[in-house]
Amino acid sequence: MDDNSTPSGDRKLSCSDVSKCFQLLESILDGENMPNSQEILNEKLAKCEPCFKHFHLEQAIRDVLKTKCTKQSVPSELEASIREIIQEKK
Amino acid sequence: MSEVQRKKYSEQEKSKIFDQEFMPNIDSMYNFAYRLTFDEDDAKDLVQDTYLKAFRFINSFEQGTNAKAWLFRILKNSFINDYRKKSKQPAKIDYQEVETYYNSDDVDYASTTDLRVDAVKDMLGDEISNALNSLAVDFRTVIILCDLEGFTYEEMAKILDIPIGTVRSRLHRARNLLKDKLRSYASTMGYSTDEEE
Repeated sequence: MDDNSTPSGDRKLSCSDVSKCFQLLESILDGENMPNSQEILNEKLAKCEPCFKHFHLEQAIRDVLKTKCTKQSVPSELEASIREIIQEKK
Repeated sequence: MSEVQRKKYSEQEKSKIFDQEFMPNIDSMYNFAYRLTFDEDDAKDLVQDTYLKAFRFINSFEQGTNAKAWLFRILKNSFINDYRKKSKQPAKIDYQEVETYYNSDDVDYASTTDLRVDAVKDMLGDEISNALNSLAVDFRTVIILCDLEGFTYEEMAKILDIPIGTVRSRLHRARNLLKDKLRSYASTMGYSTDEEE
């Protein structure tokens, strides 16, 4: 994210409402749309260091889970065997 | 059956739903089953059982609704009702404690972690996978559903039969536990885990 370049000196170093903010940031990252979420997000990231750090760590966690968790390939015969059993039961 | 009887599908309609809406989800279903059981044969059985149930109860599937979520719910229930019983694993797994904790407002959002973003980005797939697999099944499940399968909170609530608030807090807790695991990997990799450069 381009917010990475913002110098941290501009942000406040403690968050007055961590629970509410972090919950909100996590919901946004999980794709839960809420009114004005983008504006709220921009504001938090620009002004609050704990929110900024939390957001980027949470985002990194989600990214590696999405991109690096290996998929187990489905055994080739599974679909055929399911269809076979269903045919027998018909 | 307490369920409201929906219209019956014709044989042709059943086949169409099965082929076009159910079967395309087999990859995700198998992955979910494998991450629940850690065993190829068990995962196969679980997926097969899920598809047989899905076919048997196909009349209670409403076309136009999310087939993947419907199938995941069946798979999750089969896992809890059949597999866990068979495997003699303690089905309780401090579930009560978990629920009590989560339904309270005590979710600790304030807990900070010194895990660094760079360290997370450099993790290998196996390390991420192992960390995920080491979580208790209820925590593992929410991460799989949300991050690997992309379900919304609302869909997850339906799949797991829990309120949305519980989905949110369980997910938060699950990711914190995952971060703890990743932090210990990070320190063995030689990453500094404190905030100093």
